[in-house]
Amino acid sequence: MILEVAGLQIDYATRAGTVHAVDGASFSVPEGRIVGLVGESGCGKTTAVRAIMGVLAENGRRAGGRVAFKGQPIDETTTRRHLWRDIAYVPQSAMSSLDPVYTVGSQLVEVMTRRGAFSRSAARARAVELFELVGLSESRLADYPHQFSGGMRQRAAIAMALALHPSLVLADEPVTALDVIVQRQILDMLRGLQQRLKLSMVLVTHDISVVAYLCDEVVVMYAGQVIESGPVREVLARPRHPYTMGLRNAFPDLLSDALELVPIEGSPPDLAQPPPGCRFAPRCPFAMVTCRAMPALIADSRAEGHVSACLRDGEVEQLRPLALDPVTWQRSSSYAAS
Amino acid sequence: MAERAESALPAAPASSFWPVLRRMAAMPLRDPFAFTGLVIYLFFVLVALFADQLATTDPMEILFTKAGKVAANTAPGAEFWLGTTNLGRDIYAQLVHGTRSALAVGLSAAVIVATVGTVVGLVSGYFGGAADAILMRIADMALSLPFLPFVIVLTGFLGASTSNIVLAVALLLWPNSARVIRSQVLTLRERAYVEAARVTGASASRILFVHIAPNILPLSFVYAAIAIGWAIITEASVSFLGFGDPDNVSWGMMLQDAFASQALSRGQYAWFVPPGICIILVVVAGFFISRGYEEVFMPRLRGR
Amino acid sequence: MRLILERFFHNALALLAVITILFFMFRLMPGSPLAAFINENLNADQQQAMLEQFGLDRPLWQQYFIYLGNLARGEFGLSFFQRRPVTTILLEVLPNSLILTLSSLIVAYIFGVLAGAWLAWKRGSWVERAAVPAVLATRAAPEFWIGMVLLALLSFNVGWFPSGGASSPGLAYSNNWERIFSLDYLHHLALPVLTLALYLQGLPLLLMRSNMLEVMHEEFVTMARMKGFSEWRIVLHHAARNALLPVVTAFALGVGLSMGGNVVVETVFSWPGIGRMLVQAVSVHDYPLAQGAFLMIAMVLALMNFVADLLYMVLDPRVSHGRAG
Repeated sequence: MILEVAGLQIDYATRAGTVHAVDGASFSVPEGRIVGLVGESGCGKTTAVRAIMGVLAENGRRAGGRVAFKGQPIDETTTRRHLWRDIAYVPQSAMSSLDPVYTVGSQLVEVMTRRGAFSRSAARARAVELFELVGLSESRLADYPHQFSGGMRQRAAIAMALALHPSLVLADEPVTALDVIVQRQILDMLRGLQQRLKLSMVLVTHDISVVAYLCDEVVVMYAGQVIESGPVREVLARPRHPYTMGLRNAFPDLLSDALELVPIEGSPPDLAQPPPGCRFAPRCPFAMVTCRAMPALIADSRAEGHVSACLRDGEVEQLRPLALDPVTWQRSSSYAAS
Repeated sequence: MAERAESALPAAPASSFWPVLRRMAAMPLRDPFAFTGLVIYLFFVLVALFADQLATTDPMEILFTKAGKVAANTAPGAEFWLGTTNLGRDIYAQLVHGTRSALAVGLSAAVIVATVGTVVGLVSGYFGGAADAILMRIADMALSLPFLPFVIVLTGFLGASTSNIVLAVALLLWPNSARVIRSQVLTLRERAYVEAARVTGASASRILFVHIAPNILPLSFVYAAIAIGWAIITEASVSFLGFGDPDNVSWGMMLQDAFASQALSRGQYAWFVPPGICIILVVVAGFFISRGYEEVFMPRLRGR
Repeated sequence: MRLILERFFHNALALLAVITILFFMFRLMPGSPLAAFINENLNADQQQAMLEQFGLDRPLWQQYFIYLGNLARGEFGLSFFQRRPVTTILLEVLPNSLILTLSSLIVAYIFGVLAGAWLAWKRGSWVERAAVPAVLATRAAPEFWIGMVLLALLSFNVGWFPSGGASSPGLAYSNNWERIFSLDYLHHLALPVLTLALYLQGLPLLLMRSNMLEVMHEEFVTMARMKGFSEWRIVLHHAARNALLPVVTAFALGVGLSMGGNVVVETVFSWPGIGRMLVQAVSVHDYPLAQGAFLMIAMVLALMNFVADLLYMVLDPRVSHGRAG
């Protein structure tokens, strides 16, 4: 495993109280594989990934858990020597992630000369190589970030991430801001690069079709917790957690015919005061009394295979067909009223 | 993107004046600086109202010692708390009565600036077109006039009166507020609820007064608070240069008097320091209050 | 580039508006229409010359264009009391004002930028909480009052600095440059510059602090952290470079605004500059001199506004390099 996250907890101190943005997330990334980290906005996936990079807002702190890179634990202090050299980051919106007053080329050279052992001329040569790798022309190196189109900016961001030959790339919604055709191009490019360079990747997204298209494994997060994980085909074909079942309904699958869109009623809980027990219970059509009372099972994906944090895991074969029927989701859970 | 995990508070559009007025009244309670500013204002208002009781001497009266000589340049003491000028006038009395002039100038300028700026901003922003173009050209012209020189020239030739000074200040200060209010109106104009009101046939004046104006009100206050300070400083500067109203006891006149009668070389700090301190207090109070409203009604993503 | 021309015309038109306003103001205020340029102080020949030069017997609209033509050639008329061309008088005192303005602004901005950046770095500490109101207080004090206090304390009291003027009496210089760079001049310059700098530093300080705070929250700063850059590199090379942009523009604007505002400081220190000249001219109703001084200040203002626009265009790549694709 190139990356292991165990019981990660990230808290934010706000005026409304402490928000537990990530509350016990565990997952791991096997070497050379692409792991999709999927969930709706606010579920904590971006927070978790940025915390791994050692970057948290001023009012945030890591409150618990363990992160290990190639077996070595990393935290805010020890992570620095790995930054960009071993673990790199591709941001969601490359526009604001590049300094507007310097050319893109000079920023590439900057990271190579300051964080890598490159000389200026070597760095410039490699910058040309990197741009070639991502399909950008060399002349673009002299341009400023605002002169790039959306798709081109993402390519530049990817080039930037690969500058120091990292072994792990954390991509945070890399294609969300792009239109569908460009999305496909970038995703194909990512897959190609990953295979050529033997990269390990974590792909954070809220779009399950992206996960289906690109990832080998998938980790599903809800309300700051990991609720299901496993090989992508397995989890998507035979989901075991009601939330994943609902998610799958909400996105037209890239591979099969578009299903009827079935939204999940309601919204995620307030993370300053999370409900007791399973956090999905208020919206879950299969919730029982015990779901609310017992502390939730946290899926531990360090175990091999396909795991889920649902008390009714044993009944999935019966529940799955029900989840495909829109009527199930319209009827609010008997225990949803609070 | 600033990463603060606070629950986003969408600014609820005010559709009537009362909620906005309530929020405006509540702001100082949460902002200690704005609260201090309000206290300072209140203090000076009270001083102005009770000037006659607080300082029983006539500020312009030449006072004499028991021996019959002019009580010139007496040091601060029990009888004259801040001493006397070189013509034997009670400095403390001048300071206290000067408050009236300062507040009169400040408030009248603030009212004019806020009114003109708001009306121009509303009309310009909402109706656009020719009115907008003309008004903004006029605003540009007003902004390209050097401020103090213009006031000097105006009072120098039109005559030294407080109302001339207020007029000149107001003429030159309204463009700033008008511009900012105009851009705020432009933003509000595109908001959904204004569209909805337009579609359901509400008249322009109704939209302006019921939907847009309440959201503009805090901005008007911001600029009014700033204008008070500017007007007072300008009046002081103009008086200091000798173009002020000679019959009017003001802090600026005190400073001019002190300077002209060599109070500096005599080290009569009690004469020229207090008026300056008073000016600083009033202007700073204006800053604090305007900052308070700015933070609440145009919040920036980062905290302070 | 089209933008440059656009800004040039915008500022030129603003200046033209000021000139026009001035033209009508001085026609309307004094007694007779001739009084703007002619006065019994001038001898008969001079009066006749002014009459012809400014076309004072022609209809008003003709006078306006003659006036503009004269301005373009630098003809402002004759000073009533000095009986010399206004232009000559103004050019004598202009350097003093320029030096005062530029020196104080440079001192104020260097201090303000450094202090503002430092305060941004110290965000949340008691230092920052105390400093911001203190800086606001400096902006709340009338410039001339600061000058008065400094004059009383540092000149009259301890005698470290002269009490006014730009040079000690009795000194002679071979040329202007020598005078300006002499120690005596600098000695006289010190207090006025200190006064102005104290007053002016508030703006760049608060602006820089505010910009730094905003920039430090931008995504590219977070990215720089993720790349593992040192805090120094992030603050200086990335954050400050972005935060400085508005400050540089403000500096240019400040030069223009200061020329007008220096009036009071020049009076306190008897500094022989344009502002003081304006005040004196207005007090004695020397209309041509007053007009000329006012116009010169307005011209510097318009010019610096234009320079500020240019600076902004040059320094921000988002403006200088338009969208290419």
